[in-house]
Amino acid sequence: MIYLDSAATSMQKPRAVSEEMLTAMRTMASPGRGGHRPAQLAEEKVFECRVELASMFNVPEPENVVFTMNATHGLNIALSSLVSPGDRVVVSGWEHNAVTRPLVMLGAQIDAVRTPLFDTAAALEGFRQRIPGAQCVVCTHVSNVFGFVLPVYGIAKICQEYSVPFVLDASQSAGALDVDMQKLGAAFVAMPGHKGLLGPQGTGVLLCNSTTTPIIAGGTGSASRSQSMPHFLPDRLEAGTHNVPGIAGLLAGVRYLRQRGIAGIEARERGLIRALAQSLRAMPGLEVYLAQDESAQAGVLSIRHERIGSEELGAALGAVGVCVRAGLHCAPYAHESAGTIDTGTVRLSVSPFNTPREMSRIPELMSRALALASA
Amino acid sequence: MQRYLIMCRSLTYAQRASQALERAGITASISRAPQQLTGNGCGYCVSVAERHMRDALNALSRSGTPYGKLYKIEPDGRYVEVAR
Repeated sequence: MIYLDSAATSMQKPRAVSEEMLTAMRTMASPGRGGHRPAQLAEEKVFECRVELASMFNVPEPENVVFTMNATHGLNIALSSLVSPGDRVVVSGWEHNAVTRPLVMLGAQIDAVRTPLFDTAAALEGFRQRIPGAQCVVCTHVSNVFGFVLPVYGIAKICQEYSVPFVLDASQSAGALDVDMQKLGAAFVAMPGHKGLLGPQGTGVLLCNSTTTPIIAGGTGSASRSQSMPHFLPDRLEAGTHNVPGIAGLLAGVRYLRQRGIAGIEARERGLIRALAQSLRAMPGLEVYLAQDESAQAGVLSIRHERIGSEELGAALGAVGVCVRAGLHCAPYAHESAGTIDTGTVRLSVSPFNTPREMSRIPELMSRALALASA
Repeated sequence: MQRYLIMCRSLTYAQRASQALERAGITASISRAPQQLTGNGCGYCVSVAERHMRDALNALSRSGTPYGKLYKIEPDGRYVEVAR
């Protein structure tokens, strides 16, 4: 099996991730509750993870690192904190439903910057024109469909010029590209723990630099006499029992990444995707979405076939042992922007565990899948 | 040995305080705050030896770590608030 669906969830993890999770399940209770040793062990692990993440993403204090269930959860908190009904919110034309559906639910007026795929300059110019007067800007760092790397540092700078809060969706970039909270000056950065950070499903992180509105309320192990959520982070946004085994696994994943080096991972994933794209481009009938400028694309590649449906091709690839995702990838905005809304695409995405040898096997497996889907 | 309690508004802040004190070479243990000192219910504190108290407060101030009230633990177990 060759796993090329890490943009959904990275399945191959460092061994330490499952080992740390098992240790947590066997030895740890809940942080902020009891004062006994199992509770203390959990408290230490959760704090270690906050400190590690704060260091990795250049967040001033560990309490500004909030644990969530996933990136969607974090984005919902961020948008509920910043957006009121009728607000004009500027987004890129490459957003995931995790951004656009909460905005619809909040009654926001979504102002999408539609620019050509892989055109970084056009994206930046589009944002420059739309940001003045907006109440909020939300942008994905990397398109989950095409791997397009948006110029988020430039967009964030424009937001600062106009004092418009900026929210970064780092779902596809955390663990694969440099994400620097202070350099961005972002109000919030949301990310999953189970993709590039190599943690388990059910983990996510919200980096906070703004006033916040909780979207769930409950026990926090602090200020218990009060019937309002505490005003301080992370308690304000972390009602209920923490996913301690998940956080322990996430910490192991993050430590692995930092030891290996993000810059090296970024270069490796780009190299794998470009090699894969070049070989697939030579195959008749396939349309391959590859950026000319290498820096404009991360470790995600979309393709489609002139005759075979994306879902059918995705299923056929699965049958020959290649795990991909087909369809609209919960990102209709991105497919509308690229002109692929009616066909969808087949997405191939890599992780630090994919190899050049695996990429070299894909053309042969693709031929088999095409034959299977055509039969 | 006489000990002092430095009140913190949450577990995370107590952990931050403990970390700042550790960096300054001061041993500080985190614990749940005594019931009678948690006006708003459920709090955390760090405990330091009397001889480190002044250095501990300096270290917290230098590192920008917020903290709450200070209490001295009397030999009979009573907690007496002391000025910051």
